[in-house]
Amino acid sequence: MIALLPLSHFLFAAASLAWKRGIRGLLLFSLLLDAALIGGLFMRFAHGETISLVLGGWGREMGVELADDRYSLVFCLLVLLLAGGAIAYLWQERLRPYFYMLLHLLFGSVFALLFARDLFNIYVIMELLTLTSFLLVAYERRAYQIWASLKYLLLASLGMGMYLFGVAIIYYHTGTLNLGLLASRLVAEQGTPWLLLASSLLVTGIAIKSGIFIFSLWLPAAHASASPAISALLSGLVIKMGVVVLLRLALVFPLSLPLEVLSVVTGLLGIVYAIYTYDLKKMLAFHTLSQIGYLILGIGIGSELEIIGSLEYAVGHGLFKGLLFLAAGAAVQATGQKDIPGLIIKRTQIPLAARVGLLVGTIGIMGIPPFAGFCGKTLLSNGTESPMMQTILLLLSVGTVISFAKLIPLFRFERGPSSPWSRTSAYVILGLPMVLFLPLTRLFLSIDMWKETFTTFHVLESLLVVGVGYLIYRILPKRPLPLPQRIFRLEEGILVILAGFFLVFLLFALG
Amino acid sequence: MASINGVTIAILLFGIGLLGLILRRDLVVKLLSLGLVNGSAILCLVSLNARRNGVPPIVHSLAPAPYVDPLPQALVLSAIVINFAVLALALVFVMFLVERYHTTDSQRIEHEISREEEER
Repeated sequence: MIALLPLSHFLFAAASLAWKRGIRGLLLFSLLLDAALIGGLFMRFAHGETISLVLGGWGREMGVELADDRYSLVFCLLVLLLAGGAIAYLWQERLRPYFYMLLHLLFGSVFALLFARDLFNIYVIMELLTLTSFLLVAYERRAYQIWASLKYLLLASLGMGMYLFGVAIIYYHTGTLNLGLLASRLVAEQGTPWLLLASSLLVTGIAIKSGIFIFSLWLPAAHASASPAISALLSGLVIKMGVVVLLRLALVFPLSLPLEVLSVVTGLLGIVYAIYTYDLKKMLAFHTLSQIGYLILGIGIGSELEIIGSLEYAVGHGLFKGLLFLAAGAAVQATGQKDIPGLIIKRTQIPLAARVGLLVGTIGIMGIPPFAGFCGKTLLSNGTESPMMQTILLLLSVGTVISFAKLIPLFRFERGPSSPWSRTSAYVILGLPMVLFLPLTRLFLSIDMWKETFTTFHVLESLLVVGVGYLIYRILPKRPLPLPQRIFRLEEGILVILAGFFLVFLLFALG
Repeated sequence: MASINGVTIAILLFGIGLLGLILRRDLVVKLLSLGLVNGSAILCLVSLNARRNGVPPIVHSLAPAPYVDPLPQALVLSAIVINFAVLALALVFVMFLVERYHTTDSQRIEHEISREEEER
């Protein structure tokens, strides 16, 4: 069952090239099949049964292990919702068959990555994800898209080269690449120089793909220039796959200090850039960088509650960032304006559904109770005792509100043109689970944790954060700040990645 | 001469590739340097797990022999294929850019594209 999820998609990818007439039906059918399979996995998980499958009959030492756990199942749900949203959004557009093949490949490799338990298997799937998202970004063949995706490919491929070096060192010293076996074999090796080098190589390689600020400088250009549904999938899903791998690595290697520092860096820098960016899609892309900070922080601290919190926030962020990208794409398309001031002037031309979508997404990302962002943020701040971490979380929340306050004039109620039913249903698919997020969270928490987490204090706190953020936005001078833009070029990007690698190595040596 | 082995050569190649990626402005040279970086990772993976005087892991008799570990070679095979795919796709995209801007210089392409973006 677990191997069928990715494999069926690879099969459908081939089929969608051969059978051009039923191509959209095939995509829908494959999603229904996925839903059925994931439902089956959930049923077995609810009975306390987890599946672990070693392909080829080689044993865990050498074979490729696929296994499911709570993390991968939660992410499976996110994949289903985002895929549903993106497909609904694209339903009435005419696209080449090759595009559908890429979508199948993307979903298939995402499922494969969620169940992968082997360092080299992760490498292969990561490269597959890079290639498919590289082709998807440049699907419309505009020059700026091609350049953005070429930069992405070069940097990601460099990162995977470094990752492979790490894999080589690990295999030489331990004789296995299975994460479960590694966890037990590395206990005696803590602090040896080769382990420091190998783990910093692995983390650097994955960090380039998972949207951490100093490593993923390709991200704003690539995500802002892709077409809306693709941006939603990349930002909501593909970036999260890097985070999933970091989570898996964090269970084996001592990643706590590096991840905490990186989360602070990516969170704060992402927000500073987002505040001073007025291009709507680019701002959303910078916010992907900043919100990754929350996820990495939760993984870095690493307690049970923190990991649940960052899991929740990953799903919530996938939903509202997907929704924001879809609605923003529709708004930009309808008005022909990319900048927020231009959009505000022409706001009556934006379809009403898109504006409601933007509103719901903004409410979600600001963390207004009781929607998706609130649950994740509260769980994260509840999970840690240290006042420093809590201050950082508060700073991140306030910064998010400041940068999204720019959008508030868009939401004045005015009639706008109606949008096609397929797009409206896409907004509903992503927006509805977000609104119903709190009851869904209940399924994953025990009643005590539930009562501890969602108190009046937290509700008031998050409302206060929104108020303070809005006030700061009003006081803040509206002059553009001359932030360095050179780092987003190719050559400087590589240099910054190298600097980041040494930073990670240093942090490993200290931690 | 003991210090010259696959691993040190791999590290050297990695450094050369990295320098090429950063310093050379020609996109095709950049892609070649990327190939060098990825190739050095492959060399490292193979030569770290090499065994002097090893025999191929094909069992003829039950007597123990210095068999070579076949797993790294199997791994490397898929890595090579992936790198080939990356290189081929990247070259196609470089071709698009060259057709449009008539140059392989990355900084000039970057400049042209940012100028076009301002005009849009």
